[in-house]
Amino acid sequence: MYGNAYVENNGQQHNSLTANEDPIQLAAFEARIAAGDKIEPHDWMPTEYRKQLVRMIEQHAHSEIIGALPEGTWITRAPGFRRKLALMAKVQDEVGHGQLLYSAAETLGKSREDMTNDLISGKSKYSNVFNYPALTWADSAVIAWLIDAGAIVNQLANSKGSYGPYCRALDRICAEESFHLKYGHDNVVFLATGTATQRAMVQDALNRWWEPIMHFFGPSDKMSVHTETLMRWKVKMATNDDMRQTFLDMYVPKIWDLGLTLPDTELKKNPETNKWEFTEPNWEVFKQVINGNGPCNKERLAVRRMAEEKGRWVRRALLSEKAEYVAPLA
Amino acid sequence: MNIKSLDPRVTRANIDENAQDGVLNPLDHFQTYEVFEQKKRGTHHIHVGSVHAPSPELAMIFAKEQYTRRGQCVNLWVVKTQDVFVTEYTDADIFETTASKKYREPDAYKVIDRINAYKERTKTKSTI
Amino acid sequence: MEFTDKHVMGLKDLLYRMADDLLILGHRNSEWTGLGPILEEDIAFSSMAQDKIGQSLALFEILHELGESEPDTVAFTRNDNQFHSCQLVEYPIGEYDFSLVRHFFFDHADALRFEMLTDTVVEPLQMVARKFKGEIKYHTMHADIWLKQLGSSSEEAKLRMQHAINEVFPLALGIFEPSDYEAELIESGIFAGEAELQSRWLDKITHLLTSYGYTIPVLSDTVSAYGGRKGKHTPFLQPLLDEMTEVFRIDPAAEW
Repeated sequence: MYGNAYVENNGQQHNSLTANEDPIQLAAFEARIAAGDKIEPHDWMPTEYRKQLVRMIEQHAHSEIIGALPEGTWITRAPGFRRKLALMAKVQDEVGHGQLLYSAAETLGKSREDMTNDLISGKSKYSNVFNYPALTWADSAVIAWLIDAGAIVNQLANSKGSYGPYCRALDRICAEESFHLKYGHDNVVFLATGTATQRAMVQDALNRWWEPIMHFFGPSDKMSVHTETLMRWKVKMATNDDMRQTFLDMYVPKIWDLGLTLPDTELKKNPETNKWEFTEPNWEVFKQVINGNGPCNKERLAVRRMAEEKGRWVRRALLSEKAEYVAPLA
Repeated sequence: MNIKSLDPRVTRANIDENAQDGVLNPLDHFQTYEVFEQKKRGTHHIHVGSVHAPSPELAMIFAKEQYTRRGQCVNLWVVKTQDVFVTEYTDADIFETTASKKYREPDAYKVIDRINAYKERTKTKSTI
Repeated sequence: MEFTDKHVMGLKDLLYRMADDLLILGHRNSEWTGLGPILEEDIAFSSMAQDKIGQSLALFEILHELGESEPDTVAFTRNDNQFHSCQLVEYPIGEYDFSLVRHFFFDHADALRFEMLTDTVVEPLQMVARKFKGEIKYHTMHADIWLKQLGSSSEEAKLRMQHAINEVFPLALGIFEPSDYEAELIESGIFAGEAELQSRWLDKITHLLTSYGYTIPVLSDTVSAYGGRKGKHTPFLQPLLDEMTEVFRIDPAAEW
């Protein structure tokens, strides 16, 4: 589950992005992408392409691993066999997605250990949305439906990107996320059409999650030469605003169908522009949360640190002296 | 202070909120194995991804759940990544000439016209 | 042969033991999901926890056909003294050594029990036993490889594992606490009995653990942790149930 990469943009100009690259190699690389061909691990690639992809795939992987925690909050309390099995399978899938994505990032030259260290130290980012608490069972339903829905919008776009290993991982991830989406929707529908208590639970969860969901795709992109280059290289596949619009288009009607409301009186589709209008979410809050001051940042990282620490003796015992690290093939 | 979490599992783990341990060293997550699955008998094994594992036996145990927990599979191979010898994409041109080697292809051999022409010729002769 | 009331009661008792064991251990093992020692193992351990809950559900469905309440009602509304699970399964997950050793002991017992039930006279149970054969085989393979590899690894790991074996062994013997219906189950061909199962299990785990370099506590010096099968549990079970049923109890009549 993942929204969008927090791409670093230091206002660099296009020239400086590729200034030190061999123009012949660069032209061949860009021609390959323009022709719709994929880039594979040992291909020549611009330094900036590698750097942005590592950052993006790594953030995505971290988001899956940290994303297992808010829903994991309810894993021991899911009501009934059907929900219990499905939630376990869903959280398991998130861990599985993390595994696939770390492998894809490793093919670009960063080891899983380095990525994990950067996660635990707070150096790498992950999707902001997972720094919010899952207060009730209904939160886990809203996450499974709407956060996964948002993630699918992003991941489907990225699966058409230019880097082969990332695309392959995303193809499998998207297939599994469609189970998550169905499960999440089923779960929300049962609550929304259930008893008054159940309905109140899900409305309450929706109210609390709406702003994080609006934050999910990130602020409007500053259209810079940098952004344009990343889009030409098929690293960034759609603008944040476009993805947010796609999401709203697909899911707001489904939410309203259930008679649920969203906590934004300005939210409506403008029939003339065919675009959704809404109250701009508070981007200052978004920035604060990214920088470690969200309600659960500290706990999320502490839990990952604990998991790594608890597993240390097991891993150390099995590590062979002859082991030699080679990045996965593809 | 230990974390009191909404997640009862986390509360039970007695995690010190300010602990700073947990830094990983190289190879802490082991080396990697490439995974090949065969969906049904009679088909080829196909590469599906990789796993980190300390031994081939555990690589197989891990691959089984990571790659075949949905859908059909009858056989798995795991191979240490470092033991796979690969070609470079920069050498992809070594494959390029294959297409022009028509003499390797069945459709380079079309003799039906020749046979028909021969038949035509011999038929004419016999009627004389 | 015609089943008497005692045969049916014996069968239900057997089904409750198995279903409750699988539910509680599946629940416990699911606590590792997202927190395992390495991502790949996290995924494998979670699948096995799911399998256990799934097997438990299949057994509760047989019970439902025998006149007991719906699986959800039975699983999510009873108190600890109504559970027939052995005490082994209710202990907290502890460290990974404890969880692995419990998994090894329990899953070998489970595999042998299901194997014995592949020719039970109770047809739905026979079908369940056959259906889950592959799942359970993976569970014991997983347990065996872990125990074997840790058994020939670092001194720290060997010590930890041996310590866990010593700690879990008496609890594991609680799996085989005889029921009040052993004679009826055996004579009717429903199940060959806990004593027979324990003897097969001991042979199996003794052979395996010895070959991996561990020692097994002496049986005659060990007090089996009995009581669970008769509703006597450790203080760990009721809080587990309170947690598991927290959402369900908000409204047990609601559809979740």
